[in-house]
Amino acid sequence: MRNDVVHVVPAIPWWAGGLGIGIVLILAVALAQPIGVSTQYAVLDGVLLHHVLPDVAERSPYLADAAAGWTLLNYEFFFVLGIPLGAFLASWVTQRFSTRLVPSEWGRRVGPIPGRRLVWSFIGGFTLLFGARFGGGCTSGHMISGVSQLAVSSLIFSASVFVSAIIMARWLYGDWGTR
Amino acid sequence: MKLLLGLTLGAAFGAVLQLSGASSQTKIINALRLKDFTIMKLILTAIGVGLIGVHLLDLWGVAHMKVKELYLPGLVLGGLIFGIGFAVAGYCPGTALAAAAEGKPDAWVTVLGGLLGALVFAFMFPDLEAALFSFGRYGPVTIHGSFGVRGLWIAAPLGALCLWLALRLPKPGGAR
Repeated sequence: MRNDVVHVVPAIPWWAGGLGIGIVLILAVALAQPIGVSTQYAVLDGVLLHHVLPDVAERSPYLADAAAGWTLLNYEFFFVLGIPLGAFLASWVTQRFSTRLVPSEWGRRVGPIPGRRLVWSFIGGFTLLFGARFGGGCTSGHMISGVSQLAVSSLIFSASVFVSAIIMARWLYGDWGTR
Repeated sequence: MKLLLGLTLGAAFGAVLQLSGASSQTKIINALRLKDFTIMKLILTAIGVGLIGVHLLDLWGVAHMKVKELYLPGLVLGGLIFGIGFAVAGYCPGTALAAAAEGKPDAWVTVLGGLLGALVFAFMFPDLEAALFSFGRYGPVTIHGSFGVRGLWIAAPLGALCLWLALRLPKPGGAR
């Protein structure tokens, strides 16, 4: 399988990363609540929409419930706000900040056209959050927090994610085709 | 105080995601193509540590648990839809934020798409609720709860299994 895969070498080994995420989860459960990200997309939507068109926002019971009080000043949102902050600092300190548009494996498998990558990124992001809200969580909320709490819902969600993502990746990145 | 705690824990989480390669689009899709198991090793370690740690806290009575509800059709469908987005974007909702912050324009676009996806879901929710979420609801079920045993009895061996699997899965090999 020579040259079949582009290898990205992370700054820290997998066990240190896994331990780090595990410790963040344990601290979060001890001090506040399990970690979660995807709800905050709906919260930000709700607060922004309520700012521009309050009537429309209030018509959605889902948004009213997610963005209770139409404010971003709460623990959950600040946790999610911290993610880009920490990632930016980490990439800056390790000199890995990069504005490369087309990721390397995508470029090899799908093509180097930036517009195509951007369109698919948007569609991917849309599908990702639509699915996450549908299932009530994402990789952090279901897979890491949920499975760690032995939640049956999270095990089912995580299994569904891997089945569909692996099939989709095989199809999209051409392992079954002639690319 | 609570806000600062959130920001700090979130920043630690984001830094780890960045440093460990979880925010790399290439790393994620090669994991899904089953060509590079680094991300699986990472997630299994996180879950292994989390299972044992969270249930130890629970044993000592200091855990703030929040178990999500079991509603069958929605969870399975949601997971399948999420998986498609995961493979196409190569980011998850959290790592997209990390990747956006490390400068990746496609991750910014993923976040924008995500905001729209969540918004569309919010307005479809009343109809979906009637169609999909009204049956197959079982509340916040846990494995140990349904067996009626203490969580640690299941979490400790399962956590050890996750850590063992994380060790056993192959490291990325090949050129470079």
